[in-house]
Amino acid sequence: MTLNLSVLTPNRIVWDSEVEEIVLSTNSGQIGILPNHAPIATAVDIGILRIRLNAQWLTMALMGGFARIGNNEITVLVNDAEKGSDIDPQEAQQTLEIAEANVKKAEGRRQKIEANLALRRARTRVEAINPIS
Amino acid sequence: MAMAALRRDGRRFATNPIPLNILRSSLVPSEEPVSSGVRNISTQVVRNRMKSVKNIQKITKAMKMVAASKLRAIQTRAENSRGLWQPFTALLGDTPSVDVKKNVIITVSSDKGLCGGINSTSVKISRALHKLNSGPEKENKYVVLGEKAKAQLVRDSKKDIELIMTELQKNPLNYTQVSVLADDILKNVEFDALRIIYNKFQSVVSFLPTMSTVLSPEVVEREAESGGKLGDLDSYEVEGAETKAEVLQNLAEFQFSCVLFNAVLENATSEQGARMSAMDSSSRNAGDMLDRLTLTYNRTRQASITTELIEIISGASALEG
Repeated sequence: MTLNLSVLTPNRIVWDSEVEEIVLSTNSGQIGILPNHAPIATAVDIGILRIRLNAQWLTMALMGGFARIGNNEITVLVNDAEKGSDIDPQEAQQTLEIAEANVKKAEGRRQKIEANLALRRARTRVEAINPIS
Repeated sequence: MAMAALRRDGRRFATNPIPLNILRSSLVPSEEPVSSGVRNISTQVVRNRMKSVKNIQKITKAMKMVAASKLRAIQTRAENSRGLWQPFTALLGDTPSVDVKKNVIITVSSDKGLCGGINSTSVKISRALHKLNSGPEKENKYVVLGEKAKAQLVRDSKKDIELIMTELQKNPLNYTQVSVLADDILKNVEFDALRIIYNKFQSVVSFLPTMSTVLSPEVVEREAESGGKLGDLDSYEVEGAETKAEVLQNLAEFQFSCVLFNAVLENATSEQGARMSAMDSSSRNAGDMLDRLTLTYNRTRQASITTELIEIISGASALEG
């Protein structure tokens, strides 16, 4: 039994092929998905998507959205997605540092929430480069 | 005897202004009457007309080129964005027939004109939908995107317009911008169902006026539980947040911004396509017109030359005789 994964963003299709297993970060924690999983509709958090393909793990940084799992088809709709191998490590590290500085500077509720979100996005991108497996 | 006949003929040619007048009046109806005997003025008018037609043709040709290059850029983006709403349709369905109280009709149009009938089509469809859904205890509101639909809808349905947004395409369309716009609409407008009217791009010459329906989370839940048109949704376990309603709320917002993004892109593509074909046909028309004018011009010129020759000849033969 095969499992099909497609990761879509508004601007392009990031992934559309068969996989063996994925680990998805949802709002209520990570879930692993193997073939013949029960149908699920879930919100996807800002976090890492791990994909097992030919006994190797790939990572992808997801920026929040939705996933639908059913009938061995996984559809992940996200605001933005980047493959770990496509992210420039230096640039991601710099963005993280800027985001950390912004969190400290942020004042007011709205700014704080926005700065925190930016920090989480930056952290996810850095994590996607060096996956802790 | 023969000479006299020739003289008469010559005079008739020289002083007969009727053919020229007919030509002139068919070309420039507003032209003031020209006294007979002044022949060159008619060719002058035709020449001016030819020049202006040539200039118009140049302009429409340039506009067609611009539209063609813009079309190519935006078409790929519209096609890429189609992948995003299809999964939503698979999950939540596109259910135009769900009956709800508060309908919000979102009319997508362009900011600029000269693009065929795409704007009036979407306005017409919106009006029809408004009429179709109106009834006691029902509310219909418009949200208008784009200058052209605004101009048409403000005239007769001003009281129903909730929100107007224009100059969407000042910067190249991107998802961030559209999702901010979608947020604005969601915050400011109360709705049970959003119905987005736009022109779906099929090919350079055909655009399909289309309606996409986005239901509010409450309606989605109601429909899913009653096992109506959204019965499929109930077979999915909903995870990822405290309550199902919360997930549905997020899902509906995300769906709306994606569908709107696609709608705006499709409409922009249709606009460029329609402009391209409109400009193409108007340059062709200008070409036809120019051909006709050239023919009249040459004929008039030839006629005046002939007349002058006859004058000279008859004058000379009169002297001889």
